[in-house]
Amino acid sequence: MTAWGCQGLRVRYGDTVALEDVSLEVPAGTVAAVVGGDGAGKTTLLRALAGTVRPAAGTVRRPDRRRLGYVSAGPGVWTDLTVDENLSFAGRAYGLTADDLEVRVGALLERTGLAAARDRLAGRLSGGMRQKLALAMAVAHEPELLVLDEPTTGVDPVSRAELWRLLASAAADGAAVVVATTYLDEAERAATVLVLDRGRALLAGTPDEVLAATPGLVVEGAARPEGVPSWRRGARWRAWSPDGSAPPGTTPVAIDLEDAAIVAQLRHDRGGPGGSRRGGPPANRGRAA
Amino acid sequence: MWAMAMKEFRQMRRDRRTLAMMILLPVLLLVVFGYAASFDVDRVKTVVVGPRAGQVAAALPGRLDVVRVAPAEGRRQAVEALRDADAAVAVVTSETGQPQVLVDGADLFSARSVVTELKGRPALPAPEVLFNPGLETSAIMVPGLMGVVLVFVGTIATALGVVRERQSGTLEQLAVMPFRARDVLFGKLLPYLGVAVVDLAVIVAVGVLVFDVPFRGSPLVFALGAVLFLFVTVGIGVLISTVSETQGQAIQLAIMTMLPQILLSGLIFPLQAMAAGVRWIGYLLPLTYFVQVARGVMVRGAPFEALAFPLAMLAVLGAVVFGLSVARFHRDLAPSGRHADRGSATDAGQDEAARVQAGAR
Amino acid sequence: MSPATREPLAAAIAATRRFGDLTVVDAVDLTVAAGEVVGLIGANGAGKTTLIRMLLGLLAPSGGQVRLFGEPPSRRTRARLGYLPQSLGLYEDLTVAENLAFSAAAYGSAGATLEGELAEARDALVRDLPLGLRRRAAFAIALAHHPDLLVLDEPTSGVDPLARARLWETIRYSAEQGAGVLVTTHHLAEASQCDRLVVLAAGRVAAAGTLAEIVGDATAVEVRTPTWEAAFTTLDLAGLPVSLVGRTLRVPGADPATVDRLLSDAGVTAEVARVPASFEETFVVLAA
Repeated sequence: MTAWGCQGLRVRYGDTVALEDVSLEVPAGTVAAVVGGDGAGKTTLLRALAGTVRPAAGTVRRPDRRRLGYVSAGPGVWTDLTVDENLSFAGRAYGLTADDLEVRVGALLERTGLAAARDRLAGRLSGGMRQKLALAMAVAHEPELLVLDEPTTGVDPVSRAELWRLLASAAADGAAVVVATTYLDEAERAATVLVLDRGRALLAGTPDEVLAATPGLVVEGAARPEGVPSWRRGARWRAWSPDGSAPPGTTPVAIDLEDAAIVAQLRHDRGGPGGSRRGGPPANRGRAA
Repeated sequence: MWAMAMKEFRQMRRDRRTLAMMILLPVLLLVVFGYAASFDVDRVKTVVVGPRAGQVAAALPGRLDVVRVAPAEGRRQAVEALRDADAAVAVVTSETGQPQVLVDGADLFSARSVVTELKGRPALPAPEVLFNPGLETSAIMVPGLMGVVLVFVGTIATALGVVRERQSGTLEQLAVMPFRARDVLFGKLLPYLGVAVVDLAVIVAVGVLVFDVPFRGSPLVFALGAVLFLFVTVGIGVLISTVSETQGQAIQLAIMTMLPQILLSGLIFPLQAMAAGVRWIGYLLPLTYFVQVARGVMVRGAPFEALAFPLAMLAVLGAVVFGLSVARFHRDLAPSGRHADRGSATDAGQDEAARVQAGAR
Repeated sequence: MSPATREPLAAAIAATRRFGDLTVVDAVDLTVAAGEVVGLIGANGAGKTTLIRMLLGLLAPSGGQVRLFGEPPSRRTRARLGYLPQSLGLYEDLTVAENLAFSAAAYGSAGATLEGELAEARDALVRDLPLGLRRRAAFAIALAHHPDLLVLDEPTSGVDPLARARLWETIRYSAEQGAGVLVTTHHLAEASQCDRLVVLAAGRVAAAGTLAEIVGDATAVEVRTPTWEAAFTTLDLAGLPVSLVGRTLRVPGADPATVDRLLSDAGVTAEVARVPASFEETFVVLAA
């Protein structure tokens, strides 16, 4: 089974480069997380994988449209249709026959816990339930590649846990799953992590590889450490020491993905490609995310 | 309070569409009332037939603008000329006796002005009003209003239907599903076309049964005109939807295209009464041609050949507008390098979760 | 800083709110004192937004009391309040400077000087700014009139980790300056940034206290196995709330013996161990 994904991807919107030289491999049966802030290029990458955006350079390996499932950011459901009608539409659009459809819709409703809300208008669902509906619609036809754009942003923690359970089960059934998220703790669950910033890859690999590849030393202490880039974490402070020495009043700490992402960001800001300033001239920032 | 006013002012300055509407609309109204709003038809096209055509033609009052003198033709051809809207007045001369003056009642204001003129000249015979003997306004307004309804349904309903998809973010979802662009477009349009057809049937029925509007011509020709016209209005609706991000914007644009059509298409104010400098606008508007077809078929019973020109114009306009809109729609759905969709603009009335999504974009 | 002796800036005392037959907020107690950051956490539909609207004076309670600066909420006390809604409350078609000017005029304050990146972006339309910058602008504007109480609704939703950390610096800095801060968040990792937490579930307070107090000694079962798919499916079908973390599985609140038995019955070999629960897992159990 080939892995889906992309290689050396470059995407442009007019003059703005939304993605530059981005590669990602997603084998079947695994979950890949794409992480980054707003404007990092997550949505663009996912759109390129789904085929709604054409790359300027690089290659994309994706299955035929009928074997692909996509959940867009924002309510990707028809708010003036009921849950049942939404699922039926999706099923029919992907070519499920009437009999298959009925069985499948029933099974999906049970699986996602939406059975009780079957006849409710999608517009009246809470955010978490709406995302579950969108996910159900995207897996109705058992796709080989499942692409989800920030399905858990702004969703309550209970629904978020349930959504990840559904994603895991999709992967367990053999799909390759790509998820964009702003929550780094979610990224820890994935088999592969890709951290984007302003269109470029900051970090890539398994969570362990990413952590191992972080240079220098991350330390933590009660007060803001001097002389090194620092940030708050909970009630305490963390700092990154590039040369590996712990500033006074701090102790080294086992890092997690959030630390790794922050360190990568700091390195990038200091003098990586793209310059040292955060944020380009405001007028050029489109809504590419 | 001043802080509020200042903020509104700044926002208003940037909202170009509303500004355009607030500035262009009064200008349009001024133009209309200045140059177009007139019921006085100065020159009425006339044909003169019969053996003494030449003599009589020379003696006619100036208001009657003789376009054809045909001594060889008789009353039948004169009636046909009126039916086919070649002229609004026909004078049938004979060897002896008074000439007959036939007036096209469907060309209401021309007819009225001729009737009034001739009343003041007892030497000339009283005119015989064809097609709409009572000179009833309803006879010509109702067919025209059918056009207005079709413009309404076609433009506004379609624009809203498509923009709603874009506004709710589901357009992107559709783009990924195994649909072809034309599946989506035609699938979307079909219900609106269906409703428009039903609307039309209802209005025709009411017009004929309640308002005694005649329906003398071929329903097929009428249907053809209606279908072609719908293509144009629906095409305009789709075009509007491709340049609008919210339903509010779509309605604004739709109104801006509807108003000139209602005022300058000959629906209310006759085209001949408009100053030439403004009249040409009317000839660009699809409603103008539909009104010609509707009145021609219903009131005059004109045959297909007579209406070939307006039907052809509708076909051409339809092809252009619809073609453009499909091309633009295709671009919205198919892979492109151009602008990603802006995030959905949610208004009050959405629940907490939706607002979180909007805030997170 | 011990706020115990001072009157809380905001307080809900057995506050209740009903909409018809539905009780959305049910006898909730909540206080925010000067200098502390209180996190309000709950699922959608738990009543967070309604509770906040009651505290702000936008909704009247059906029962109990709500006090803002020691008295029922009124227009008079609004000037001491800074509110940042989820949608940021910025006008997209105005520039940052114009938004600031409007807010300053509305609150009767002198406005604020923008610093750093915000200063560079002052003449940019809000709609042209990326989310991180928008949030910072919204923060700056909400803080411009030096409010005594800050109410922030999901302030860091959708923001990358570094920017999120910076925003929390601003929040804690405000608290250090003496303001009281009430924050709602879905992001449980941020719970550790708060001094105190209040967890809402179905309109009631399910738990309150510090993070450590709430998690207490809750545990989860961790499953390590090379064939995670089989283990996952087995436990999922058995109705357990199993989740995937990297390549290990975790089942909050479960008994290791039960999990072990289910897996071995299904023929799946795995290492099963009891581990401390994370806050997220505790929350999920609480909210269920």
